[in-house]
Amino acid sequence: MQVRSTVEQMPAESNAPIAALDQARKSLNTIILGKEEEISLALACLLARGHLLIEDLPGLGKTMLAQSLARVLGLTFQRIQFTSDLLPADIVGVSIFNQKQGEFRFQPGPVFAQLVLADEVNRATPKAQSALLEAMEEKQVSVDGKTHNLPSPYFVVATQNPSDQIGTFPLPESQLDRFLMRLELGYPDEKSERALLTGTDRRKMLDEIDASLDAGALGSLQDAVERVHVSEPLLDYVQALVRFSRESPEIETGLSPRGALALIAAARAHAFILHHSGVFPDDLQTVFAAVAGHRLKPASGSAIRNAGELSRHVLDSVAIP
Amino acid sequence: MSSRNGTDGSLLASLPFTLGALAFAIAPHVQYLPVWVTVTFLYCAASRWYIEKRRWRLPPPWLRIVLALLSFLAILFSYEKVSGVGPGSALLAVMGSLKLLETRVRRDQFVLLFISIFMMMASLLREQFLWSLPYLIAGIVVTMTAWLNMSLARPVSLRRSIASSCRLILLAAPVAIAMWIFFPRISTPFWSVPIDTSSGVSGLSDNMSPGDISSLSLSDAVAFRVRFDGAVPPPSQRYWRGLILHQFNGRTWTGREPSIDPRARRRISVSGEPVRYQVVLEPTRQHWIFALDMVIDWNLKQSFMGPDQQLAYTLPIDQRLSYSAVSHTSYTTDPQMTSLAKSWYSRLPESRNLQSIALAREMRAAAGSDQKFIESVLRRFHEEDFYYTLQPPPLGRDPVDQFLFETRRGFCEHYASAFAVMMRAAGIPSRIVLGYQGGELNPLGNYMIVRQSDAHAWTEVWLPGRGWHRVDPTAAVAPERIESGMSGARYEAIGASWGLEAPAQWLHQLTLTWDALNARWNDWILGYGPENQQLFMQWLGMKKPDWQKMLFTLLGLVTLGIVAVSIILLRRNRPPPKDAAARLYAQFTRKTGLPPHTGETPQNYARRLHERPGQNPQSVDRVTTRYLAARYGTPDQQALQELKSAVVEFRRSA
Repeated sequence: MQVRSTVEQMPAESNAPIAALDQARKSLNTIILGKEEEISLALACLLARGHLLIEDLPGLGKTMLAQSLARVLGLTFQRIQFTSDLLPADIVGVSIFNQKQGEFRFQPGPVFAQLVLADEVNRATPKAQSALLEAMEEKQVSVDGKTHNLPSPYFVVATQNPSDQIGTFPLPESQLDRFLMRLELGYPDEKSERALLTGTDRRKMLDEIDASLDAGALGSLQDAVERVHVSEPLLDYVQALVRFSRESPEIETGLSPRGALALIAAARAHAFILHHSGVFPDDLQTVFAAVAGHRLKPASGSAIRNAGELSRHVLDSVAIP
Repeated sequence: MSSRNGTDGSLLASLPFTLGALAFAIAPHVQYLPVWVTVTFLYCAASRWYIEKRRWRLPPPWLRIVLALLSFLAILFSYEKVSGVGPGSALLAVMGSLKLLETRVRRDQFVLLFISIFMMMASLLREQFLWSLPYLIAGIVVTMTAWLNMSLARPVSLRRSIASSCRLILLAAPVAIAMWIFFPRISTPFWSVPIDTSSGVSGLSDNMSPGDISSLSLSDAVAFRVRFDGAVPPPSQRYWRGLILHQFNGRTWTGREPSIDPRARRRISVSGEPVRYQVVLEPTRQHWIFALDMVIDWNLKQSFMGPDQQLAYTLPIDQRLSYSAVSHTSYTTDPQMTSLAKSWYSRLPESRNLQSIALAREMRAAAGSDQKFIESVLRRFHEEDFYYTLQPPPLGRDPVDQFLFETRRGFCEHYASAFAVMMRAAGIPSRIVLGYQGGELNPLGNYMIVRQSDAHAWTEVWLPGRGWHRVDPTAAVAPERIESGMSGARYEAIGASWGLEAPAQWLHQLTLTWDALNARWNDWILGYGPENQQLFMQWLGMKKPDWQKMLFTLLGLVTLGIVAVSIILLRRNRPPPKDAAARLYAQFTRKTGLPPHTGETPQNYARRLHERPGQNPQSVDRVTTRYLAARYGTPDQQALQELKSAVVEFRRSA
């Protein structure tokens, strides 16, 4: 069931970007099939000014998703393939001595794009990883004592193979926290896979697609997201969820206040995408697994082992106030 | 780095509780188990703790398998079998101990806790004392605390976890009590648990040699308790008939196996007032049933009267038996006796105790009649320096000779044996009765305690015309033994050994109080069998109680209890609807007749409603959309009004 759109209630001046956002969503769904919810979540993540971590096996369309996002949203795009010999300078850039002018000039690295795809981030050493994560957090880069601002909007999509593969450095919990959401794409369903196999090449499709938005429009959407109404009962609900996550015997580490803020920001963006007149419990539940999944740690000896089940456990145990 | 077998210290918090629960469970068994079992447990517990503390490796699997096999063989060697309470609990204790050595994760500890609970229950197969209940409750609290501690991610304070386990037990207690009261009791159990026979139960044995009863005299274990309906017979009449011994080999008296004699009862003729009483007999693992001399009527299934008017049970008495009986203290039995029987009851081994036999024949010739002869023998015991003592000197090959002519110190069995031998030597049929004499009245419960220390042996002689009648030679030597019983003397001795007199009284009082409590416990808790249950059901107002009625009552009560507890818990966890929109929505969910799940969002709930036939999807959607807008959307009075009309409309249409 789709709840009636309440576009009429939105401020009139933002109607055009909202229609463009709907269009962008539609375009994305034509390229990446059968992943409506993940696409909504990825868009919500971006609209909430957060960064996205996609964790899955190779070949499930992680890179495709990131490229399409950049394309459809009209953002500059850079891809960094993380390898074990990647150096921080390969990410942020270096100062090169310009002989003509007799001075050092900063040569920006791939991190200076509006949408950065950090592919297989767990293949690089912690040092390289932290260079990227610092850039994400500060939205600026310091090289040789000079600070360089990163473009705005700034959005990092990092992909990661499940950490039990050989030769990887899984991100520590404190760094996982820098990502607003963690998504798992998973295998496509039968129908979508069939469409994928019989349809045109996705890369070709990507080249043909037009940008629905630009940086400016995206910025105004991000501002609008922050104005989405959050009611008292919903705040009660967030607090109940957070409290339960801290008290449940199944959970070792509960949600931090930062986690609670992240939940609200993501739910706001999701409500905005679906044109809800405020954040509904459904919005919160939809983003919950993606936002909270990588911030919760199951208790040792708990029967629950993966993040999805853990999120389900929390949602199914807390009554909606 | 922890290796595959290494420990990581993660069990340090929960292990002490698990070990405590195991120790609690094994403790009641310790006195029955071979010492090596206890030692194994202590060693495994200590070493497991040390391994966890030092982060050592656990012993390798092959070693554990070898140990398990060895202990199995050891148990087989100790008990020669593996079934029954004794070997069963030993096996559990050993395997529980060895399981400690492979306890790596929480699941293993759960297994240990299951074993603990099982062993605690198994201890009830051995004995059910008054203190068993508090001990069991304490044991369950410890186990539950261990359980809770293990299930928690973060350790909580000991007080808090004990409080939670007590709360859980309290919640479960009504169900347990209801099951205990209402679960239909069956008079014959479906199964019989082989009782551990390795431990001795003090009591009379099937035969009598010098020294047998005097060793009993030091045991204050209760033999049985008696409640009289009317006046209590005087001490000199309180002879509790047990088994009859009539074969003598020169040293040991033996009887025959329990057998039925349907005519035995008919050979009793009585006079005077009957004495009515109820007996609660402690387990003896023998067949004999004790009753006041001479019993004429008793109600106990599977019991019978033997040829010598002794009562017996068809099975070894493994459980407390309760029966009522009627006796007459003045009676005669077997007025006629065949010459074959006469010679049987006068047989003596040749070439043993010759001096005594000679003495008896000499005295018989001097006395002139059997009656006079009996009196003269009793007089001899009374007037010559025979002593009654609990520590008689040991006797050799011809114990009667030695006793009569050398030591002259003895206990009831010496006198009874010597007397019977002398009677037989003179051709008077005689036999020995083993039983109890006396008993102490407990004013607190108004019943009589008969202890093992009251064990007694006396003789019966047969005279023409009078039949069998009781002659107690001990009464001739130590009348005070018969008149005042054994109990008083013992406490005085204890008090004197402390150099005090007051504690003796005080201690005696304490013992009596404790025994009164135990008797009540036995009557009401352990004795709650089919008969008591029937009575209790009738008292509760159940007409003609049968097992169906009881089972239905039980199911009803348990369901009621669970529902009540669930309602209380649900009430506590359900957040009260706060605002107008929530109240309207609650009206809607009630009206649909499909309660929302915990954490189910309005949209998911609406989706679920759509799948139900008979719901109008449009009106469901209208309510849902308006509810979401009114409650979670931008604050707006109009939205609330719209919700109201949608709910009203829905209620009307439904």
